[in-house]
Amino acid sequence: MGELSISALLIRFILGGGAVVVSTLVARKLGEKAGGIFAAFPAVYLAALLTVGLDFSGNELVAHSIILSKGAIVGMGINIMVAILAGYLLPRQGWKRGLLQAMGFWLVVSMAVVMITTYS
Amino acid sequence: MLLMYKDLLIRFILGGAAVMVSYLITVISPWKILAGIFAAFPAVMITAVLMVGIASGSKNAAKIANGSVFGMIGGVVCVATVWTVLQVSGNWMLSIVLGLLFWLGSSIIISTFKDKLKNSRRNTFRVNLLIRHK
Repeated sequence: MGELSISALLIRFILGGGAVVVSTLVARKLGEKAGGIFAAFPAVYLAALLTVGLDFSGNELVAHSIILSKGAIVGMGINIMVAILAGYLLPRQGWKRGLLQAMGFWLVVSMAVVMITTYS
Repeated sequence: MLLMYKDLLIRFILGGAAVMVSYLITVISPWKILAGIFAAFPAVMITAVLMVGIASGSKNAAKIANGSVFGMIGGVVCVATVWTVLQVSGNWMLSIVLGLLFWLGSSIIISTFKDKLKNSRRNTFRVNLLIRHK
C-alpha cells in the first residue's frame, strides 16, 4: 500500500457510500420483515474488505483482511454498547444530546482499545 | 420525499467517509486496529436515529437504537465468519461468501427471535390488562 492518492480515497468514499445507499434501498424494497434484516447489512465493513482487494493479492491480501476483520469485530462490539447506551440516553437527554454523547462514548472507547492493544 | 433524499445523502456521506478513513488509517497510522474499528462504523444506525429523531422525536429514535442491537449481532457473526475462514483456509473470496451466508442465516434467526419476544411481551401485556379488569 504505502502511497496515498486522492483517487484511491475517492474510490473508497464512493464505494462505501454506494454500498450503504444500495443496502438501504434494497431494505426498503423488501418489505417489513426482510427489509428489517437488510437494514442491518454490514455494508461499510464489506466495502472496506472489498477495497483491500484493490491494493493486495495472495498472502498479503489475507493478512490485511485478517487485521481489518480483527478491528471490525472489536468495532462491532463497541457499536452494540453504543446502541444500548443511545437507547438509554435518548429519551432522557433528547435525541441530539443523547446521540452526541453516544458517539463521544464510541470515540473514547475506540481510542482506549487502540491504546490498550498497541501499548500493553 | 425531501427527507428521504436527505436520509440517503447522510448515509452515503457517513458510509463513504467511514471506508475512506479506514483506508487512510491503514496507510498513515501505526494503529492498524483502528482501521477495522472504522470499517465497522455504525453509519446506518446513526442516520436512522438522526432521521427518526428529526421526524418523530427522542422516544422513537431510542426505539431505533435499541432495535439496531439485534441487527448488529448479525454483523458480528459476519465478521467472525470472515476472520475464521481467512485464518483456517486463507481463501479470501470464500471468506466473503461464507460471511454473507452466515450473516443472512444468523439475521433470520435473530429476527424470528425478536418477533417471538415482541409477541410474548404483547401477550403478557394483554393478560395483565385482563387481570386488572377482572
